[in-house]
Amino acid sequence: MYLKSEIGWTSNKAENQLRESKMNPNLIFKEGRFKILLLMALSFVVSCTSTTVDEFRQGETGISGDETVVVLGRRQASDYETRSEFIECVGDKMARGDNALNIIPEQEFIDAMFPWFEPRTAPLRTQDLAKLMSEDVVADKMGEFGIRYIVWVDGFTETSGRTGSISCTVGPGGAGCFGFGTWEDDSNFDARIWDVGSFTNVGTINTDASGQSYLPALVIPIPLIARVEANACSRLADQLKGFVNGS
Amino acid sequence: MNKHLSKIALVSMFALFLANCGVNNVVIEGRFPTPNISKMPVYVAVLYDQTLRDFSYLEYTETGSEEFNIQSGASHVELFNSITPAMFEQVIFVDTLEEAQIAGVDAIFAPAIEEFQLALPAKTKLDVYEVWIKYNMRLLTAQGDSIADWVLTSYGKTPTETFQTVEGAINDAAVVALRDLASSFSLSFSDVPEVRDWLDQQ
Repeated sequence: MYLKSEIGWTSNKAENQLRESKMNPNLIFKEGRFKILLLMALSFVVSCTSTTVDEFRQGETGISGDETVVVLGRRQASDYETRSEFIECVGDKMARGDNALNIIPEQEFIDAMFPWFEPRTAPLRTQDLAKLMSEDVVADKMGEFGIRYIVWVDGFTETSGRTGSISCTVGPGGAGCFGFGTWEDDSNFDARIWDVGSFTNVGTINTDASGQSYLPALVIPIPLIARVEANACSRLADQLKGFVNGS
Repeated sequence: MNKHLSKIALVSMFALFLANCGVNNVVIEGRFPTPNISKMPVYVAVLYDQTLRDFSYLEYTETGSEEFNIQSGASHVELFNSITPAMFEQVIFVDTLEEAQIAGVDAIFAPAIEEFQLALPAKTKLDVYEVWIKYNMRLLTAQGDSIADWVLTSYGKTPTETFQTVEGAINDAAVVALRDLASSFSLSFSDVPEVRDWLDQQ
């Protein structure tokens, strides 16, 4: 058994500069339209997110060049659904960079395996997968894709603590907004890795990311968005890539 | 001339206003893959009645006015057209019982929609759009006698998304429900006791 924990904190100078300029509203007007636009552009890049990744290994892993991985979202819960955009993001990141893996797109896999991986019929345990693989049509399709690992991702992003208000006015002389808004995003995703060769769960990776977003408005709203889900996706994909490669 | 243009603009705006006040039509459209299952060695005729072909559901606001008209008849026909040839060795689509008799089929499959429900986030206060459909599946002999008659339900949901239209979300939830129907129908068909007995006799 192996337990690994990491905490990441990202922020940059641009955010500090932005906060300074926010303290003195007149500065924005003095520096001209170009700088306002630059600040707005920077604000989209700025991030202030903390991410924790926990890895729990239960078996040896490794993958050869002709084998593939599929990342699937769990959609059995009644009150939330693992977003397909998040699954796509994780898959895309796992398929890029060093030690890139051959990833089968989620929808392509689900459509090809129809009706065995729909929310109601998808295997919930590795024993169910073993039973499913006894169906010739399923085993043949899995073989065609060359699937070695199935990664089940389950989770969602929750927004809480919305406070503040912004009001906008339009008049003959122009338009403008004034106010301040803030909220917190918290992403929690669990990834379970199933080895299709041995029908075992070889590990679990949990990613928890949270961050505070701000939206000050001084004539123009300046969004300072914490890229919580994007960071969770990035960190989870990196960890999964390493895990599957056996490093 | 200017007065004439102003009148046209006013009439257009009024027409637009009236259009926005009316019911929103949602025609369900989606992609339904062919199931990967073993075919049953039977010759089946598929019969859609006009009620299924034209099926639509009206959702009302809390004040009782019509809000959404969801037309899903065509997508149901498309779905069954896609799944039945993958389930049975030979399939024929017919418009009448007589056509099926002439074709000499082993059985006639006639699906019907009994109930349709829609749950909108504005009413449920949940962050998901939900669609629930109840079906009456009927399997008849070529002469029209009942072999099996059973109820099947399907469920689909889709999360609320920024910049997504309500119509788009309803469509997505309905497509998930239709896929759910296809998966449960194709996998549970031979588990219905009367159907299992009939299949054993074939």
